[in-house]
Amino acid sequence: MSDTSNGANQDTVVQLHQITKVYPGVVALDRVDLAVRKNEVLGLVGENGAGKSVLMKIMIGLEQPDEGTIVLRGEQIALRNSADSIKNGIGMVFQDGSLVPNLSVTENVFLCHEADFRKVGILSLRAMRDAARELLAQMKLYINVDLPVTEISSAERQMVEIARLLWLSRQYGQENPVLILDEPTTVLADEERNRLFSILQDIKKQASIILISHRLQEILENSDRIVVLKDGRNVTEIPAAEAKLSRIEQLMVGHTFSTDRFQEDEQVTPRDREILKVENLSKAGFFEPLSFTVREREIVGLVGLVGSGKEAVCNCIAGLDKADTGDIFLGGRKLPGGSPSAAVRAGIGHIPIDRRSEGLALMMSVAENVNLLVLNHLKTAGLLSPVREKKNAQYWISECQIKTPSIGTLCANLSGGNQQKTVISKWLSSRVRLLILDHPTRGVDVGAKDEIYKLIRRLAKEGIGMLIMCDTLEEDIGLASRMLVMKDGRLVKEIDSSSHNKPAPQDIIGLIV
Amino acid sequence: MADIEQADTAESQDARKRLMRTGRISPVYFTIALLVVVGLLFYLGNRNFLSLYNLNTIISFSAILLMVALGQTCAILVGGIDLSVGGLVSFISVVFILLIEPLGYLAYPACLLIGVIVGYINGNILTRIKIPSFIATLATGGILTSLAYIASSGAGAPRPVNLSPANYHVVDNIVNGRLLNVSKVLYIGFAVLVLFYIILRFTSTGRNIFYVGSNIKMSWMSGISISKTRNIAFILSGAGAAITGLLISSVRYGGDPMVGNAYILNSIAAVVVGGTALTGGAGGVINTLFGAIFMSMLDNGMNVVGINQYFQQAILGAMVIVGVTLTFDRTKTPIVK
Repeated sequence: MSDTSNGANQDTVVQLHQITKVYPGVVALDRVDLAVRKNEVLGLVGENGAGKSVLMKIMIGLEQPDEGTIVLRGEQIALRNSADSIKNGIGMVFQDGSLVPNLSVTENVFLCHEADFRKVGILSLRAMRDAARELLAQMKLYINVDLPVTEISSAERQMVEIARLLWLSRQYGQENPVLILDEPTTVLADEERNRLFSILQDIKKQASIILISHRLQEILENSDRIVVLKDGRNVTEIPAAEAKLSRIEQLMVGHTFSTDRFQEDEQVTPRDREILKVENLSKAGFFEPLSFTVREREIVGLVGLVGSGKEAVCNCIAGLDKADTGDIFLGGRKLPGGSPSAAVRAGIGHIPIDRRSEGLALMMSVAENVNLLVLNHLKTAGLLSPVREKKNAQYWISECQIKTPSIGTLCANLSGGNQQKTVISKWLSSRVRLLILDHPTRGVDVGAKDEIYKLIRRLAKEGIGMLIMCDTLEEDIGLASRMLVMKDGRLVKEIDSSSHNKPAPQDIIGLIV
Repeated sequence: MADIEQADTAESQDARKRLMRTGRISPVYFTIALLVVVGLLFYLGNRNFLSLYNLNTIISFSAILLMVALGQTCAILVGGIDLSVGGLVSFISVVFILLIEPLGYLAYPACLLIGVIVGYINGNILTRIKIPSFIATLATGGILTSLAYIASSGAGAPRPVNLSPANYHVVDNIVNGRLLNVSKVLYIGFAVLVLFYIILRFTSTGRNIFYVGSNIKMSWMSGISISKTRNIAFILSGAGAAITGLLISSVRYGGDPMVGNAYILNSIAAVVVGGTALTGGAGGVINTLFGAIFMSMLDNGMNVVGINQYFQQAILGAMVIVGVTLTFDRTKTPIVK
C-alpha cells in the first residue's frame, strides 16, 4: 500500500529510507519510509507514540537514525545536528514555539545571523527592521517588528517562526525548503487557523510543508497527501482527495469508532437539583454581571472566543481569581471568593488547560498525583499508609483506564492522554461535585480522546455537574446538554443541547463572533 | 489491575518506551558509587583512612552534619533554600552553653524551641512579606551570627564560651559517651533521621512539601496551603540546625560563635551531592544521608591524606561540582512525545 519508497522521483525533495531508531528496550521506528515532494502539503498522522515525533527529530538532525538513509535533493546526507538541517533547508516550527520571549520580532527573525546586517562590526538595526518587515509582509503579516514577541498573538508568533525558516533557507541557497509544522493550530482560534492555512497554500509554491496534527479534519482539508504511522511503522499513504476521516482514524488506532464520537447516546438527563449557582458575578475588564446554574448530572458547555471572558468566569468559580461582584453557591452554600482551597473543600474541581504546568507534579509518581487530594483519608493511626495509598491509586488507575507500567511511574513518562486521565482521577478520587474542564482533550490523541469522553459520560451518570470548555464547537455541542454562549464579556444566550436537540455549529458561530 | 499488567496495548507500550528512554538510575546509587571511589582514593593516600578509629570519626562527624543537612533538605525540597543555618548553628552553640547554667537539662528543649522559632520567622518572611528565601535567610543568618558574637562576649570580640566543669554531667549524660559501644551521638543522629523520614514520607504536610516543591501552581490550585507547607519546611530546617548546634557544643564542652560558618556550604553540599534536586520536589532524607557521609568523608580524608589546609576549600568546591554533576536529576529535562 505504501509507495513512499519511490526514491528516484524527480519531484522528491527528501526521501527517508528504511529509518530505524531503537531506544533501550523499545523500537521507536521500524524501517519507516517517507518521501516529501516539491510543493506539497504532507499530512503526518498517528497516535502519541506512533513515532511521528522521533521521525521529525531525525529529519531536523536532533536524533540520528540507527539504520536507514536520508536522501536530500538526490544526495545522501547525514544531518548531524539541527544547524546541518537548517543549512540544508529543513526546519521545524515546534508546538510550543521556540522564539526568545523577551527579544523583539526583528531580533528573533535574524537570531544568530545578524552578521548579514553588520557594517564595520556594528549592527544596522534599521536594515534589520526593514528586512523583517518585508519578510513578514510577504506572508501578509503587518505588525510592529519592535514588539517583544510575548506581546504578539500566538498566531503571529507562528508566522514569525515560519518567516524565519523561509529566510534561513534562502540565506543558505536552498530551493524548496521543507517546513515542518508540529500541531500548529492548537493555540489558534478559528479565524487564525483559516489564515494560517491560506498562507500555507501560498508558501506551498516555494516550499514543501509537513503538517502534524491531531485534528484529522484539518489534515484532510489542507493536505495533498496523508501518511499514517502506527507503532513506529508505515501504515499507509493516501492522497487526501481519496481519504475519509473514519478510515484514517481506523488506520491510526486499529479499530473503528462509532459515528457517535461524543457518545451522545450516553448523554444523561440532568437531575433537577442545582449544584452550582452563580449570581450576578462580574469582574472588571473580564466579564459583566452574569448568572447561571449547573445541575447535578448536567454538562454545561461554555463557548466563546478568546476574550469572551469564559476562562475568567471559570477561574472565579474555581477560586483562582476573585470576582468583583456577585456570589457563587455550591450545593446551596456560599463560597468565599479567591480561595482555591475553599473551592476544593466545597467540592469544586478544576482540570486546567495546561496539564503539565498546572495539573500534575510531573516528577512525582502517578500514585502520588492521584492521591494528592485524599491523603487524609489514606491514613492509619495518623500516618499515611502505603497500603491504603497503593489501593486507592490502583483503584483509580483501573477505573479511569490510565495506562502506566506501574503506579510508581513518574507522570512525566506518561503520554498526554494518560496524563490527562491522571488529572481527572485525582479529582474523581476526592468526590468532587462540580468539575470544571478546561479543554480536556487538548493535545490528546484520538484513542485517548475517546476514553476521556467515556469518562466524562460516566462522571455525569454519577451525579457530578460539569462546566466544560472544549477545543472545538463540535466537541462542546456533542458533550454538553446545555450551552452558555459568551461574547465580549457578556452571557448572551443559553441554548439547549440535549441529545435529541443538538444545535449545529453554524447556529452558534454567529453568536460568538 | 488488569490494565497495569496488559502488555500488548499501544498505550502501555508507549509508557514503557518512555520510561526506558529516560534510563533513570536513582541518584542515590551515584552518590554511593562516588563515596566508594573517593574513599578508595583516600585509602591509597593513607592506609589509616579506613582504620576503625578514623571511620568512627567520620561517622560521628557525618551524624552532626546530617542534622542540619536534614533540615536543609526540607527547605530545598519545598523549593527554597536556608542560608541562615550557619548563623543559627553558631547562635545555638553559644546560647546552649549559656543556658545550661540556669536551666540544666532544659537547655536542650529550650534551644530546640529557639531553632523552631527562627525557622518560623524565616518561613513567615517568605510567605507573608514575600521575600525569596535566598535573600531572607541570608539576612536572618547575618543577624544570628551577630547575635552569636554578642552572646559570646558582649561588646567585645567574639570568643568561645566554655562549659563549666560543674555542668559537664548535663552533656555527658545525654550526648557524650557510648551505649553498647556505639557513640550516643549516632543514636541521636539515627533517631532524628528516622523522625525526618517519617515526617516527610508519612505525613500529609511532609508530602505537601514535595508537591509544593514540584509544582507550586498545581499545589495552589489543588487547595494545598502553600504558606503552611513552606513554614513547616523552614521550621524543620531551623530545628535541624539547632540540633547540630546542640551536638557540637555538647561534644566540645563549649560553644563557639564561629563554628557555624562552614555549615552553610556543607549542608547544601550534602543535600545536592546526595541527589536532591536544587529545584525542589525530588529527593529526600536517604539521599541526604549519603551526601552527609560523603561530605564528612571528604573533609576527614583531606586532613588524613595531608592536603594543604588552604587547598582544601578549593578541593571541596570542586568535589561538590563533580558530585552534583553526577547526581543531578537529569529527568528534569522534558520528554517529547
